[in-house]
Amino acid sequence: MPSLTAIKPKIPIFLRQPTYSVTSSDLQKWHGWAKNLVSSVGSSFVESDNGPDSTLLCRELNWLLEDSLENRSSSSCFSFSACKYDTVDEIENVMLRISLDDLYQLWKQRIEDRRPFQYIVGCEHWRDLVLSVQEGVLIPRPETELIVDLVSDAVSNNEELGQGLWADLGTGSGAVAIGISKILRIYGRVIATDLSPDAVSVAMFNVQRYGLQHVIEVRRGSWFEPLKDVEGQLVGIVSNPPYIPSDNISGLQAEVGRHEPRLALDGGASGMDYLLHLCNGAAAMLKPGGFFAFETNGEKQCKFLVDYMQNQIAGSFSTKEVARQVLSAVQLNIVISMKSCTRTSIPGEEMSRIELSSSVSN
Amino acid sequence: MSSLIFKSVSKYHNFAHLSGKDKVLASGFGVWKSLFSTQAAAELSTSDGITVDGIVASNWTILDESESDWKSHAAAIAQSIQVIKRRLQWKKLLVRLDLLSVQLNKPDLWDDPVHAGNISREHGSLMAKMKKVKALEQELLENIDMIKLAREEDDTELESEMLKALLQMRRNSNEKEQEALLSGEHDSCPCYIEVQAGAGGTESMDWAKMIMQMYKSWAQRHGYRVTVVDEMPGEIAGIKRATIKVDGEYAFGYAKAEVGSAQAGDGFTHVQINESDLRIERFRAGGAGGQHVNTTESAVRIVHIPTGITATCQNERSQHMNKDSAMAVLQSRLDQCEMARQAQINAQHTQSLTDIGWGNQIRSYVLHPYRMVKDLRTNYEVTNPDSVLEGEIDGFILSYLSTLLDKGEDCP
Repeated sequence: MPSLTAIKPKIPIFLRQPTYSVTSSDLQKWHGWAKNLVSSVGSSFVESDNGPDSTLLCRELNWLLEDSLENRSSSSCFSFSACKYDTVDEIENVMLRISLDDLYQLWKQRIEDRRPFQYIVGCEHWRDLVLSVQEGVLIPRPETELIVDLVSDAVSNNEELGQGLWADLGTGSGAVAIGISKILRIYGRVIATDLSPDAVSVAMFNVQRYGLQHVIEVRRGSWFEPLKDVEGQLVGIVSNPPYIPSDNISGLQAEVGRHEPRLALDGGASGMDYLLHLCNGAAAMLKPGGFFAFETNGEKQCKFLVDYMQNQIAGSFSTKEVARQVLSAVQLNIVISMKSCTRTSIPGEEMSRIELSSSVSN
Repeated sequence: MSSLIFKSVSKYHNFAHLSGKDKVLASGFGVWKSLFSTQAAAELSTSDGITVDGIVASNWTILDESESDWKSHAAAIAQSIQVIKRRLQWKKLLVRLDLLSVQLNKPDLWDDPVHAGNISREHGSLMAKMKKVKALEQELLENIDMIKLAREEDDTELESEMLKALLQMRRNSNEKEQEALLSGEHDSCPCYIEVQAGAGGTESMDWAKMIMQMYKSWAQRHGYRVTVVDEMPGEIAGIKRATIKVDGEYAFGYAKAEVGSAQAGDGFTHVQINESDLRIERFRAGGAGGQHVNTTESAVRIVHIPTGITATCQNERSQHMNKDSAMAVLQSRLDQCEMARQAQINAQHTQSLTDIGWGNQIRSYVLHPYRMVKDLRTNYEVTNPDSVLEGEIDGFILSYLSTLLDKGEDCP
């Protein structure tokens, strides 16, 4: 096993020192060039693989500027470029956190290589957090914010959950682990695991940035392997494991398919290799009454897994046992039901519930 | 919901392609420091019994600032003090202060801490206003005393010093008059400004964008921080709607003039929102989401089911933050609705400028064949629409506020 410190996490742009001085007219030149590049995209990305349109790319451009400028608020002078009363004219030089050359380079990568915006700026805004991300680490998705909401609901109804030991399996950037650790009461602890050394080092960086070293322990390893010492002691398990069927990987949006780690996406032939592994192993790890929430590919996987946990693994996860476990699955695929239901109870089991997020498409 | 309709008005030419509907939303939130002392408002006078009202009543001639005549300076300052008092609705303010003092002295006040907090906050804020005016009066009268003394004792040095002091007071008084225009309870708060294109397709969306730009420039001129909360571009050009948040001193105080709501927020509390009345919609790309899609699109729309009022935010970089931001907008929209409802009720009883404030055109813009922007409420007009569209709207705002407030109460 390579040393954890071998991989040094990259510093997101917004955390770097503003050491590059450029004239405001040079920066405006770059901004104009970048905007032209954006308008050349039009809706072509949307049409090819449901990628970003030019409106969204324009917004990203403003955010890149916001992260790069020493004085965040002065970025608004550029965003309102139509404005004749332009305060930028009065500023001769502005301080940047990256060089102008890098700005040209990065924006070219964004448009021509479809490099994800979050890898460009080195961070993702997720819930009220700003998490460092880089190649090799899955960019946390807004849908996954819901897992933290579900944990928050569960903890507020159950004091024991707030004071126990939790695990976030396949933590990636550490997003879910950090999100729930802020909810847990004073005695709550989280172990965050990931197989990828990149993910482990980035998660540790994020944990330290939020000063949560005493709450979250990051361990390297596959799923339950690094948790042998806490078997049967967990009050909660959360996970966003890879769940995309292998055949679908090649057709993914360019930002995802070409740049994000396959390790965090590919769930095997059915997409459920790891989901099933988690369902099979969760009961042994949890205390009676423990909480288990995971993200799935959508309604189909969701229904299958609920049925599987109720019937197929009855031996280790008996129906009666399920009754005391709070099971939550987050439905993601909303193709089938656009305004899908809010809550379904498993017949006869009042304690168990499946939460299907109600989402409405634009 | 108030809506201001901007239309191009042209006598000779069908140049009506500059029409749009402009909705301005101004709502405040903020925190006030409280003061607990109470003090009777006795009338101040000089040693020989001259009062501020007395000076005004004596009709001393007001000469140009450059003339070294103490009576002229004193008369100008006294007039300013009267204007300030009128704008603060002085008589009402004193009555209200008395009432609040009585309540503050009740022994059971703190049985209801929320109510007590509100009372002492309002009391503190009114006391501070009253003290400012009193200090001004006192300074004027003391200067007059000193100048008389100097003349009696033939102390020319002291006399010229006091003249200078009076001149300084006179010069500062304009600013203080203006400050008094912005003395509403929520005036110092940040606010939201919303512009929505009306019927008229691309042209009206284009116009809406120009109006939004006008507010952005106006805010930048004041040194306010502007954040775009929500912006929906038009298909071809312009915007369908946009909401900005304006942060800075007196942002709400100024912006409220743009909806014609002068009483906004006097003693106003936020409308309660029940979580169960909300439908929260997270905008997502069609098809599979989650790991399949990497998008920075994180817009959130909140629908308040009972009223159908919605708020959308897509400016923040996470759904979580967009939701918080949209909630704040929704709150201010609901508050705004409530204020509008109350203003309508009040308008039935009192004939005031606010009667035409809600849902009506407040300004007409003529770009051709002649050039003019005119406020339909005050008849204030300028002949340079470009400067207005570049954000020079303070003239309109101040003239509206002063017309409104100076009419409000007879001489103190």
